[in-house]
Amino acid sequence: MKNLMKYFLPFAIPILVLVIPTEAFPIDNLTITEQRVIALFLLAALCWVLEPIPIYATSVLVIVLLLMMVSNKGLIFFRTGDPETLGTLVSYQDIMATFASPIIMLFLGGFFLAMAATKYRLDVNLARVLLKPFGKNPSHVMLGLMVITAIFSMFMSNTATTAMMLSILTPVLALFDKKDLGRVAFALAIPVAANIGGIGTPIGTPPNAIALKYLTGENAINFGEWMSFAVPYVVVMLALAWFLLKILFPAEKTEINLEIKSKFLKTPKAIIVYITFTVTVLLWLMGGRHGMNSYVVALIPVAVFSITSIITKEDLKTISWDVLWLVSGGIALGLALNKTGLAQNAVSAIPFGEFSPYVVIAGAATLCLLMANFMSHTATANLLMPIVAALGTSMESLLPLGGSIVLILAVTFAASLGMSLPISTPPNALANATGHVNSQQMAKVGVILGVVGVLLSFVMLFVLRQIGFI
Amino acid sequence: MEKINIICIDDQADVLNAVVKDLAELESHFIVEGCDSAADCEELLEEIDANGELLALVISDHVMPGKSGVEMLTELAADPRFQGTKKILLTGQATQKDTIHAINQANINHYFEKPWDKDALVNEAKKLVTEFIFEKGFNFQDFQGVIHSETLFKYLK
Repeated sequence: MKNLMKYFLPFAIPILVLVIPTEAFPIDNLTITEQRVIALFLLAALCWVLEPIPIYATSVLVIVLLLMMVSNKGLIFFRTGDPETLGTLVSYQDIMATFASPIIMLFLGGFFLAMAATKYRLDVNLARVLLKPFGKNPSHVMLGLMVITAIFSMFMSNTATTAMMLSILTPVLALFDKKDLGRVAFALAIPVAANIGGIGTPIGTPPNAIALKYLTGENAINFGEWMSFAVPYVVVMLALAWFLLKILFPAEKTEINLEIKSKFLKTPKAIIVYITFTVTVLLWLMGGRHGMNSYVVALIPVAVFSITSIITKEDLKTISWDVLWLVSGGIALGLALNKTGLAQNAVSAIPFGEFSPYVVIAGAATLCLLMANFMSHTATANLLMPIVAALGTSMESLLPLGGSIVLILAVTFAASLGMSLPISTPPNALANATGHVNSQQMAKVGVILGVVGVLLSFVMLFVLRQIGFI
Repeated sequence: MEKINIICIDDQADVLNAVVKDLAELESHFIVEGCDSAADCEELLEEIDANGELLALVISDHVMPGKSGVEMLTELAADPRFQGTKKILLTGQATQKDTIHAINQANINHYFEKPWDKDALVNEAKKLVTEFIFEKGFNFQDFQGVIHSETLFKYLK
């Protein structure tokens, strides 16, 4: 029965939406193209929630169906008809271009940096050096691990960071007494810090990059500006998480000795990696002062590491193309919503203008947090971001609070805070696989941090508004 | 979902039963089969291949009537159809020559001496099937409960 729902609903409901007449929708003057976009949006939403197929496959399916059903080079009988009722078709080039959207390039650059850093053990070596000042006191070591995990996950994928840090931690966790709650604290500290740390930069986690896609024109935020408000937020959240874990799961062990056997590599290639990494991050932090935006800067490491064979042909194959395609699908969906005019039409059909902006922001963030706990953070952002962006631009009551940027950022931060279940994010799944944490313990920490985090993001946005940043 | 097999081979029924029983916790995601001879195993290999199923792990005894375990594992190592298959030799009677052959020609992944420790065997089996899962490109999240966490971190970092 459950399987039937999983495989039947995601395809049956969109087909049903396709066949009912356009007049049946509560949106005035709905065109046939817009109706198809609604059906495809539902298909994407249901597939991302129920996962009858892998989530990146849903993205690819959405892009191909958009090309066939709403593009100007789609199937012939999807293109013919009265232009009045058919509506605006989307350029097929624009849809295909989502595979190489600047957002995707930004992520590709991030992947190259992370791969090179891992390959030349920059990550492990930095972890070793940075951990030293934290000594052997368990609570200090935990703080150190969390800080390092958060910093790394700002530039590497949250999953890879968690895997690396847990592999350092596992031998130590094995020495804990079975009854010592400290091991729960340690095993949870890593995924929690990775999830929170991902908020810190635009490339920290895909939802951030998706948000950037919708922060254009006067709302545009560059890499450095993002970090200027996101990093302080990450610091406060980390401190809260650290206190929470210490109180909930106090360690009985009095000393912890993390041994990392590794030395900084001094080969020419390793040095190129260190320099490229530093220069790229610096160029990102400088904002547009050198004329290049963060997307252009992101391609510098791609070129450098390819030329020098630091990233080889074989390494190329290990890039997480699934993550890139997942994001592409979301961008394509957003593009179709906008270009067909559906987003504007749908938003104007519902009297959002009458709602309190506070209710809309709180509602959108809560919905996002809920969804992110049960499904992929990226898929959540893919679905909510285009709607929220359209809503933000049409709601004049949002202007005194800072406009659509406030709404977009609130939703983006909430997307990273969904971490109460093993299925919420891959880092949680990894922590669960260690066998040191059970689901209740994870849920307790995840729910508290999720709710507090969303509230804290409201405070941050309020402060940013007060100082005139947004 | 593809069917993934684990084969245990031993000519002594009680030993074979014990090994299969030890691996019971892997049965949630794998088909654990027992064979009493190399010939029996080879028959099963043909069947597995014909059905398009996969073979993740073989745990074999060495001294058996007919073809020996090391001989059979050597042939398996050379068989292009089972390139990713992991191999454990579980024996008390292999000579040094057999052992060298097992390492060099049969490319065994692990050697257990009888009597074996159940936890060590299960742990090694989990480690090897986790490697198999990653090498074959399966999604590790579909294998909750049988995944070896340290191996998981190695592949994901």
